[in-house]
Amino acid sequence: MQSVTISGKVTYAERLAALREAKQRQTLEKQQIRGAMDFDDHAVILPPEEIRETVQTLGGSGVYFTDVIMSTFKPTPNHPSGGFFGPRSVGENFRKLLEAHPVYIDPMSSLAGAYMVNFMSYRTVAWNPDIDCADLLAEHAKYQTIPAIGGVQHMCQDMEMGLKLGWGGILEKIHRYPPLNAASEDFYAGLEHVVLGIQNLIARHAVAARAMATDDEPMRQNLLEMAEINEYLVSNPPRTFREACQWILWYQSVARMYNSSGSLGRLDMLLLPYYEADTRAGKLTDEEAIFHIACHLVRDTAYIQLGGPDASGKEATNRVSFLVLEAAHRLRIPANTGVCVGKATDPRLLRRSVEVLLEDRTGVPKFLGVDNTVGGFTANGFPVELARERVYAGCHWLAIPGREYALMDIVKLNFAAIFEVAFRDMMSDTTGKPSVAELWRRFRGHMRAAIDTVAKGFDFQYDNMHKVFPELVLDLLCQGTIEKGLDASNGGVEFYTFCVDGAALATAADSFAAVEERIEKQGRMTWQELLAHLDADWSGPGGMRARVMMKNSPRFGNGGSLGDEWAVRIAQTFSETVKEKPTPRGFMMIPGLFSWVLNLSMGKNVGATPNGRRAGDAISHGANPDPGFRRDGAPTALAVAVAAVQPKYGNTSPLQIDLDPGSANSPGDIDRVSALIRGHFDLGGTQININVMNKAQILEAHKDPSKFPDLVVRVTGFSAYFASLSPEMRQFVVDRIVSEN
Amino acid sequence: MAALGRLTMQQREQTDTSEDRPGSSRELTGCVFDIQRFSIHDGPGIRTTVFLKGCPLRCAWCHNPEGMTSAQTISYSPEKCIACGECVRICEHHAHRLEERGNGSGVVHAYDRQRCEACGRCTTHCDARALEAVGRTLTVEDVMKEVRQDKVFYETSGGGLSVSGGEPLAQLDFTSALLSAAGHEGIHRCVETSGFASSSRILSLLPVVDLFLFDFKETDTRRHAEFTGQPNHLILSNLRALHDAGANLQLQCPIIPGFNDREDHIDGIAALALSLPNLIGVQLLPYHPLGKSKMDRFGLSAAANLPNEPLPKARLEFWIHCLQKRGVHVLSNNLSAPR
Repeated sequence: MQSVTISGKVTYAERLAALREAKQRQTLEKQQIRGAMDFDDHAVILPPEEIRETVQTLGGSGVYFTDVIMSTFKPTPNHPSGGFFGPRSVGENFRKLLEAHPVYIDPMSSLAGAYMVNFMSYRTVAWNPDIDCADLLAEHAKYQTIPAIGGVQHMCQDMEMGLKLGWGGILEKIHRYPPLNAASEDFYAGLEHVVLGIQNLIARHAVAARAMATDDEPMRQNLLEMAEINEYLVSNPPRTFREACQWILWYQSVARMYNSSGSLGRLDMLLLPYYEADTRAGKLTDEEAIFHIACHLVRDTAYIQLGGPDASGKEATNRVSFLVLEAAHRLRIPANTGVCVGKATDPRLLRRSVEVLLEDRTGVPKFLGVDNTVGGFTANGFPVELARERVYAGCHWLAIPGREYALMDIVKLNFAAIFEVAFRDMMSDTTGKPSVAELWRRFRGHMRAAIDTVAKGFDFQYDNMHKVFPELVLDLLCQGTIEKGLDASNGGVEFYTFCVDGAALATAADSFAAVEERIEKQGRMTWQELLAHLDADWSGPGGMRARVMMKNSPRFGNGGSLGDEWAVRIAQTFSETVKEKPTPRGFMMIPGLFSWVLNLSMGKNVGATPNGRRAGDAISHGANPDPGFRRDGAPTALAVAVAAVQPKYGNTSPLQIDLDPGSANSPGDIDRVSALIRGHFDLGGTQININVMNKAQILEAHKDPSKFPDLVVRVTGFSAYFASLSPEMRQFVVDRIVSEN
Repeated sequence: MAALGRLTMQQREQTDTSEDRPGSSRELTGCVFDIQRFSIHDGPGIRTTVFLKGCPLRCAWCHNPEGMTSAQTISYSPEKCIACGECVRICEHHAHRLEERGNGSGVVHAYDRQRCEACGRCTTHCDARALEAVGRTLTVEDVMKEVRQDKVFYETSGGGLSVSGGEPLAQLDFTSALLSAAGHEGIHRCVETSGFASSSRILSLLPVVDLFLFDFKETDTRRHAEFTGQPNHLILSNLRALHDAGANLQLQCPIIPGFNDREDHIDGIAALALSLPNLIGVQLLPYHPLGKSKMDRFGLSAAANLPNEPLPKARLEFWIHCLQKRGVHVLSNNLSAPR
C-alpha cells in the first residue's frame, strides 16, 4: 500500500505508470528472494517481510521451485504422514489460508487484491501414501513419461456462471443440493469452506479500503468506490464493468492460490454485456475500460482468448477485444493473451495484434488457428457447436468452460527416451540384425506401451485424485459438479478428453534420419560403432567426427528431407496410436505436441542420441525442428515443418518463432508477419508463439539480465521476464533466437 | 520517347513462349550458391531468393562475394573445424595440413588457398561442414521443389520468387527457364540485376519477369568503373530500354560510406528516377558490413577502405528526405536490412 503526494486529479496514464513501477519493484524482489523461475510469472507478489518463509516446492505444472509462504498459516493435517487429503480437509485448510491472507490494496488501482501465496507449497505430502501408485509410476518411468497422476487444474471454469451467480449464488447452489452419500457430504463441506474463505477475503478488503479512504488521501474517491464495490461483491453478482473485472480478479486470484490455475477464457465475450450497458448509460468510457482491464492484467497473467466464433459460428470479435489488446499494449508486462485468426475473424484484430506484437516485443499476443482447432476437435466425433466453445485457456491448450476435464499440458511422452529404449532393445537382441525398419518397429511398439501406461494413469487419476486434492475452486464454476456432488476430476463434468502430448519430436526424427542416412544408405558407420559412440557420449576415438557427421544429416525443418519424412511419420503414428483406443475405463485421449519448459529437464536422463545430441542435453522444443536445421533458419521453413506434423484432433502443436525484423512496425513488417501467421494456419497450424527480439539485445541481456528488468520474452506457451529465468533457460531462449537469425 | 504502359502478369503469360524455346526445360542446369527462404528484402512480400553464381562486376562492397566467380569456390569456416584430418588425406593438391599448436595443446588445420584447385573433393568429406563447396549444379526442377515449399506464403503476402546473385543475366538460359517455370505455377517473379549485359539478353527476360529490381550504384562514370570494375553506359541504356518496353522497374541504390555516400550521387539518383516516369520507385540500400565478414571464408580480402560499421540511420533518413523533396518516390526501408 503506497502513499502518493499528488496535486490535482491523477490521470489513468499516471496511475498505470505507478502500477507498472510497483510491479517492477515486486518482480525484482521476487527475483532476489525466490531466484530463477522457469515458468509463468503468475503475477504473485511476496507476502509482507515479517511473515515470509522460504520453501522448496513442486509447482502445479510438475516443476520444483523456491517459493515463499506465509508463516501465519499452518495447515492442519488429517493423515499420519503430516499431509491433508480429501475435500473436507483441503477445503478447511484453504479457508484458513484465505482468512490469514493479508489485505493488498494499491490506491492507484481500481481493483482490490493481489495474491501472495501458493497453497500447493503447503502440501508437503503431495500424495496420500495409502493410495498406492508405485507400480504405475514405475511403469511411466520406464519411458520417462510424465504421468497424469497428481495433475491439477489444466482445464477451464465457466466464468460466465460465476458472474451471473456471485458468491452468494454459488453458496446457495451448494446448499441446495443435498449430499447423496458421505463422500459427497465431505465434498459439499469443502466447497462451502472455500466460498466462505473467499467471502472473508473480499470483506476484509472492503473494510480496509474504507479505512484507507481518509480525508487527506488523494485517491479517496477511488478507495470509497473500491470499498463499496467489494462490500457488494461479497455475496452479489457484479452489476457494472468495473465490478465484473473485480469479480473475475477475485476468482482468478483464488484459483491461482489454490493450485496455479490461470485459465480465464473469453474475456471479450464475458465483459461485453457490462461494457455495452455501462457505455450506453454514459457510465463508462473506453479509457476507463482499458484501465480496469489493465488493473486486472497487472495482478494476473491470465490466459485469455480474443475473437473467434461463438457456438453458432458467428464471429465474436467485439470492441472489448481491442480494449483488452490495448490494455496489454500499455502495460508491456508478461501476459498470455491469445488472438484468434480464422477465415471469419475480423482482419482488423489480426492487424492490430501484429502491430502490438512488433511494437511491444513482449511476445504478446499469441495467435490461435481457430478454424483448425475447431475442425480438429470435431474429428473426435464432437459437434461443431461444442468445438467452437472450446477456449484458449492455458499455454498451448483449450478446454470447454466448466464442462471438460482434459488435464491439458500435463502428460508428456518423451520420444527421445522411447527411441533410446527401442535402440538399446534392438542392439541387445542378438537373435536379429539391427536395421532402420527393425528400430522403427520397436519404436512403435514401445510408443504403444508408453501410451497404454499413460491411459492407465488417466484412469487412476480419475478414480483417486479427488480423494487427495480435489479441484474445489474450479468445481465452483463447473456444470455438474455441485449438482452431482462429484469433483471435476471424478465424473462431475460432462467431457473427459485426456490430453497426451508428445515431446522430443525433432530429436527422434533427426535421430532416425541420421541412422538411415549414415548407416544404411551411406555405410559410413555400423550399428555397433554407433552404439559405442553413444555409450561414450561421443567422447571415444573418432567420436567428435562421428558426432558432427550425424548432426549434419538431413534434418527436420529443412523441407523435403529425410528428417522431415521421419517427423511426419512419427507424428502421424503417435496421433493414430493415441486415438486407436480409449483408456481401459473408456475415456477418450487426444494427441498434441508440446514440451512446455520441460524440454530442458526431459533430456537430463536421456543418453546421447544419434542426431548428435549429447547425453543429458535438452530434447527438442515442442513441435519445432531443432535450431540450426537450415542455414537461413527461415520462419517459413519452420512454419511449413510444424504445419506438417499437426495431430489434427483439436489439441494444439504450437509453432515457436523468433523474429528479428530490424525495424519495429513498418507497414511491410506488419504485412509480412500477418502473412506468415495466415500462411501457417492455411497449412493447418493450430497456434503460433512469436518472439520479436533484437538479437544484439538478447545477447546483451544474457550477459547481465539485471540491466534489462523490463525485458519480456515468450519462452514457450507463456511470456516471462527474461531476468526471472534461470541461466539454463535463458541460454535456451538465446540459442533459439541466435540460430533463427 | 514514348512511355509505354507496364505489362501486367497476365500479359506476360500471354507473350511467354519460353516453354517452346530450347533451354526452357526443367532439366536445364545452373550454378546456384544459395536458396534463401523468407527473403524480405528482395522484392515485395515474403519471397524465396535464388542466388546464381557468376557476375561481370566486382563491386568493392559486394555482400555476396562468393557469387562473383562462376566457378565453384571453397568456403572455409575454421570455427567449425574439428581437425579430423580427412581433408588432408583426400586432397590431391596438398592444400590442407594439420599443424601442431604452438602451446602443444593438439593440432590445428591449415588451409593453403595458393595450392587449392577448388576441385571440391575435401568438401564432400568434411563432416563438420567447415569446408563447403559454394555453387551447386541444380536443375530448374531442383530449384522449383524448394521454391514451391513456401507457395502459401507468397499467396498470403503477395510475394514470390526472386532471382539474384551474382548476376542472373550471366546464366540467362537457366534464369529464363526458372522464371518461366515459376510463372507457369502462378508465382510472382522478381529479378535483381546489375543491368550489365547485352541489351538483347536483358530484354529477352521481359516476358518472364514481373518486377525488375535494377541496381544503380554510382552516377559518376569514372567512379563507377573504379568501384565496380565496369563503366555504367551499358547499364543505363539497358535501364532505359527496359523502362520503355514497359517493364515494372524499381531502382535499387546501395549507399556505401566512403564510396557513393555523396550529394552528387544522390542528385544523380533523383535525376535518373525523374527521367523514368513509369518507374515504381527507388529503394535505398544502406551499407552493412556483412560482406566484409564473409570475405575470410572465401579467402578474399575486403577493400581497404570499406567501413566496419553500417550506414548510420540518420544518414539514410537524410538521403531519403532529399530524394522525397525532389519528388522521387522512395520505397519503404527495413532499416537494418542486410544486402
